[in-house]
Amino acid sequence: MTTPTSPAPTADIDIHRLTALADVMLPAAHGMPAVSDVKAVESYLPQVLGWRKDLHQPLVRAVDALDPSLFTIDRLSALHEEDEDAYVALTTAVAACYYLSPVVRELIGYPGQAAKTYDPFAYTEWVAEGLLDPVVDRGPIWREVPG
Amino acid sequence: MTYRADVLIIGAGASGGVAARHLAEHGFDVVCLEQGDWPDRSAFPGARPDWELAIRKDWAMSPNVRSRPEDYPVVHDDSDIEPLMYNAVGGSMIIYAGTWPRMLPSDFRVRTMDGVGDDWPIAYSDLVPYYNAIDQQIGVSGLAGDPAYPPHDDYPLPPLPLGAAGRRVAEGHNRLGWHWWPEPNAILSAPYDGRRPCVQRGVCTSGCAEGAKASTDLTHWPKATAAGARLITGARVSRITMDPRGLATGAVWLDRSGVEHHQEADVVILAANAIGTARLLLLSADDRHCPDGLANSSGLVGRRLMMHPFSVVTGWWDDQVEGWQGHFGASITSYQFYETDPDREFVRGAKWALSPVGGPLNHILPMRAGNEVWGPDHHELMGRTFGRGASWAIFGEDLPEEPNRVDLDPERTDSHGIPAPRVSYRISDHSRRLMAFQEARAEESLRASGCRETAVASMIPYSGWHLMGTARMGNDSASSVVNTRQQAHDVPNLYIADASVFVTSSGVNPTCTITALALRTADLLVQHRSEQKVPA
Repeated sequence: MTTPTSPAPTADIDIHRLTALADVMLPAAHGMPAVSDVKAVESYLPQVLGWRKDLHQPLVRAVDALDPSLFTIDRLSALHEEDEDAYVALTTAVAACYYLSPVVRELIGYPGQAAKTYDPFAYTEWVAEGLLDPVVDRGPIWREVPG
Repeated sequence: MTYRADVLIIGAGASGGVAARHLAEHGFDVVCLEQGDWPDRSAFPGARPDWELAIRKDWAMSPNVRSRPEDYPVVHDDSDIEPLMYNAVGGSMIIYAGTWPRMLPSDFRVRTMDGVGDDWPIAYSDLVPYYNAIDQQIGVSGLAGDPAYPPHDDYPLPPLPLGAAGRRVAEGHNRLGWHWWPEPNAILSAPYDGRRPCVQRGVCTSGCAEGAKASTDLTHWPKATAAGARLITGARVSRITMDPRGLATGAVWLDRSGVEHHQEADVVILAANAIGTARLLLLSADDRHCPDGLANSSGLVGRRLMMHPFSVVTGWWDDQVEGWQGHFGASITSYQFYETDPDREFVRGAKWALSPVGGPLNHILPMRAGNEVWGPDHHELMGRTFGRGASWAIFGEDLPEEPNRVDLDPERTDSHGIPAPRVSYRISDHSRRLMAFQEARAEESLRASGCRETAVASMIPYSGWHLMGTARMGNDSASSVVNTRQQAHDVPNLYIADASVFVTSSGVNPTCTITALALRTADLLVQHRSEQKVPA
């Protein structure tokens, strides 16, 4: 079972090489930073692989298989065909690292899955306002059954 | 030392928990064997930063992906839908969405009314008292008066919030003249029975750490054990045992170390879901009494598996609606296209439930609304859609077909060496027509609600939450496995409490009906206890 875990060692993964690949997948564009701009891989990969140890070896394979100097999105698609586990590990790890960055979360307006309070009786307001009236006014839509 | 219980229940999930509580509170000596453990809510991932990573592995809905010791593999190479479940006290309620619709009157009469499937041997009216009772036990949040249903008792709690998306789609349906209603959910909107209310975190399907979402580990097992029921966890049943008179005598089970035990009982109740129950009946074959599986003189054990084809239609607005937030569960529902319309190219219909879309990984990695795009366009996609959407989750009625089945895999086994179930299942052409129609209408719904953009994820394979039909109920022992009391025709002290007994699937989430049926079965067992045949 997944529980909060210690960061995993990543000595067998070339972080610079992975970051270069990640920058092709998530470059600076449309007002968003590149992976390297927020140091997402070096900051969060040990934690991501601590949580998801099953991604480690396929990620090693992905990094070994892809040459950053030749890497394109088309090559990423080819990896999907050649080694699906490596593809899943690469895309999952890169996206997870990136969206753990507080800078990125702030930019997309995502505070995480936060707890909220609410008034459970607030529904009386939209009922009183008549939001359901058209539904009720059309009458029953269930079918009577014989017998 | 051999100890004989009044009732042995196999499985501590939705149906097992409800039956155990009712029987124990009525004086029965109940033992339950559950292969999983008590859930540890402190380990639920929803409030943790790794939530979206956990739901893709250790908290996946697929037992094959999770691969915990308590899980058994389900072979589904020949299935259009992957079966999903959770093995623990509380069962798959730990990971269900918590929507709590009843079946409709027409769902029990599909042969008579629409010429397909089979009629149930019981009617909606037979279940109403049990629906009402189970709503109180569970703590359902909802609003009475839905014109899609006959009038029934009010829910014990007010409805959960509509949220911004729910409100917009409700207004859109009012413009279209289409049905909508706040969804009844087995999720507390206010404190109830010692439990805390929902905090709208939007992580219901990976366990509710708050305990607001009902599951029988919270709602039934504490009361059942207080009434004397004994629950043994880490207990994997390998077969049901029989006496020479054709009565069940109990079950053989293996503990976590693989040590074999035998639990004796006067009555055995299977509550292991429509795959686990069929598997156990088939595993309990013996050459002398039942070479094709226990309670299987009809040949229908394992057959007529139904799983509800499931599509997701997502719409995105121009502005934020915090689309990652809210109960999951559903805010609103629509039965506009549920009942048969003779002008369509199919009969029966589907229920829609409006749900959140999830966090950033769920947005861009394949699971539910995932739309993988890499490179500069990734950011454009996220900026255009993240937090701005909601999804109609659409369950289409799945009609029973005998080739859709569960049997035993000749090679794969669980961690105890017990043969794994194998699922063969195809989505029918009828279902495909039904779902295509619903998907198109759902896009209309979202457009009318102001969405600028919509997308359809059609008949998603990773969606087999609703397992039904593999030991159907009926009056004729030649064409059904259990009678209207859910008592096996062939074995009078064997009962099936789970959705295996469903005759047809309806188009609604089944847990409400599973629990109502389990309560009814237990209640009838109490009423008829003096005439119950038991082993010597």
